[in-house]
Amino acid sequence: MGNFNLSEAATLWQRWELNAVKNPHRDAIIHWAAGEEPYRWTFKSLLETAKKFSIRIKEAGIKQGDVCAIIMHHNPMFYPLYLGISRIGALPAILAYPNPRLHPDKFRQGIEGMSQRSGLDWILTEKSIEPLIKPLIEKPESTIKSIFFPLEWDLNSLVDEKTNSEIEANALAIKPTDAVLLQHSSGTTGLQKPVVLSHNAILNHVANLSDALKLNESDKVVSWLPLYHDMGLIGAFHVPIAFGIPTIQIDPFEWVLAPILMLEAITKEKATISWIPNFAFNIFADKIDEEELEGISLKSLRLLINCSEPVRADSNKKFVNRFSKYGLNPNALAASYGMAEITLAATITEPDKLIAEMTVDRNKLANGIVEIADDNSVSRICVSSGKLINGCEIRIVDEKRNNIKDNLVGEIAVKSISMFDGYRNYPEKTAEVISDSWYFTGDYGFKHQDDFFIIGRKKDIIIVAGKNIYPEDIEDTVNQAEGVIPGRVIAFGEEDQLMGTEQVSVVAETKSETESEKNLVRMNMLKSAMAIDINIHKIYLVPPRWLIKSSAGKPSRKANKERLLNGLDPQVWSR
Amino acid sequence: MISAELKKVILDELNLDDFDIKDETIAPEVPGWDSLNHINIIIAVEKHFNVKFKGYNVLRLKNVGDLQKLIDSSKSN
Repeated sequence: MGNFNLSEAATLWQRWELNAVKNPHRDAIIHWAAGEEPYRWTFKSLLETAKKFSIRIKEAGIKQGDVCAIIMHHNPMFYPLYLGISRIGALPAILAYPNPRLHPDKFRQGIEGMSQRSGLDWILTEKSIEPLIKPLIEKPESTIKSIFFPLEWDLNSLVDEKTNSEIEANALAIKPTDAVLLQHSSGTTGLQKPVVLSHNAILNHVANLSDALKLNESDKVVSWLPLYHDMGLIGAFHVPIAFGIPTIQIDPFEWVLAPILMLEAITKEKATISWIPNFAFNIFADKIDEEELEGISLKSLRLLINCSEPVRADSNKKFVNRFSKYGLNPNALAASYGMAEITLAATITEPDKLIAEMTVDRNKLANGIVEIADDNSVSRICVSSGKLINGCEIRIVDEKRNNIKDNLVGEIAVKSISMFDGYRNYPEKTAEVISDSWYFTGDYGFKHQDDFFIIGRKKDIIIVAGKNIYPEDIEDTVNQAEGVIPGRVIAFGEEDQLMGTEQVSVVAETKSETESEKNLVRMNMLKSAMAIDINIHKIYLVPPRWLIKSSAGKPSRKANKERLLNGLDPQVWSR
Repeated sequence: MISAELKKVILDELNLDDFDIKDETIAPEVPGWDSLNHINIIIAVEKHFNVKFKGYNVLRLKNVGDLQKLIDSSKSN
């Protein structure tokens, strides 16, 4: 094992305290905000404020094992609050802040779905969204006990030593196998799956991942990822603060409006590591004006890890082409494959090695066979997601879950020392994906030599800019749009090469015939999806009974997507 | 008040025939104007009006009226 000694601390709180003792004045979190001086938490100041929060949390009636949903904008007080919740043994669960696009009822419906599934006990949020959330608590069947506004709490009043001692004693009694946090998978209307992780799972992952990344004390992580996302929460928050190195946190809303922010942070802070989804490589390469890049230096970056959506060779290439002259080492680009169910990563590129690529025969790949393309092949470049990290095992299996050989495409099954304990209160969903301690991911890929290549997925999930979207959510809402024949809607992902990600496409049957009628139906569909904060990129309208049904009698996503993308049916209207 | 020209650039970028866009309109009210498309709209506006915005100025925009003001001030500089 590398620089992370697991035996030094049994829980995350103990690990953070240890870091505050070892390196009290080292930056822990550098909270970045556009146009302002960053707010810097040292390990010592972070822990001191976290202790104050933990006292207020206990006084509020929150107990060990309670689930605390945090819904908050990018705010420097978020971090000590999160740590303070952990100190008393409660479980923080970070939820996305409601986008103004999201209809209030849909937002509440999402929270309600989550609370029924994962048993949210408390909501810690900002005063401004109280009217949005309050109706939820007043519902008789609600699991949510109360709502608190921690940013309004007075942390300067004298610390109650008695309460502090009680919390301290209790913190020492928390076991490494106890749950430490809860993460929700994507989904808007109750399809979310709550993943609970233990101290053991996270600490082991920090040890194994830091080893794979060759993490050292001079590293500094930079991230604009939302903290409700596993890559942001684990890769860019838990790993650095447990390892004892700084992390620079940028507001995701600000980054997407001004992507230059992250490059400025790398330049000023000499950041060394970042995790970003594939589309961000395209944004950096294509959407920043040359003038804005004056003074930017990416020399310090030693790992820029592409994760959370399929890794595209074009995106990596255009990024290297654009930023080599700004000091980027092409070997800094890396790729990783993972999921919240195993804490974060299963595979990763070896540091300072070029990402492996294979140009294979596309048609043979479609039939499950990996063969290097020759002059007569239609080729596809497959990008490796790296090699296994310690503590993880991968099997590639056929439909009957039997192992298959290297260079054959199958479903990826993962086993990890950092495996979750199942979806909270969702045994039927857990049973679907876990068998004999193996997690069946629903992703398709192959192994070549020691590299793992992810090429597709069994599940219909759509990944837009690293965010997982369930087609069912879109279909349910678009079904209600005026002009659409109910139950005759399919949502699927379509590749957008320019943006380096998938986009949402929807096909619906309609009785509308004229151009103006169809445009009206399209607008109704766009608006209905807006209410659940989904942007439909392309709409296909087809006449009644056009959609192919599956054996279950429902319109088939796969068959209809293929029919739409392959054929030139004059009955299809698209825009 | 926002110009018909700006409205057309936005609608074209979002592939919409028409939509009621006023000074006080905010991005989430317009179909298709999400965070991913925002950057494309800004680039289309810069190209059409032959102006360049600094990232920080884009961050401060609260509504379409602010975008119009930013275009006007960039053109006069």
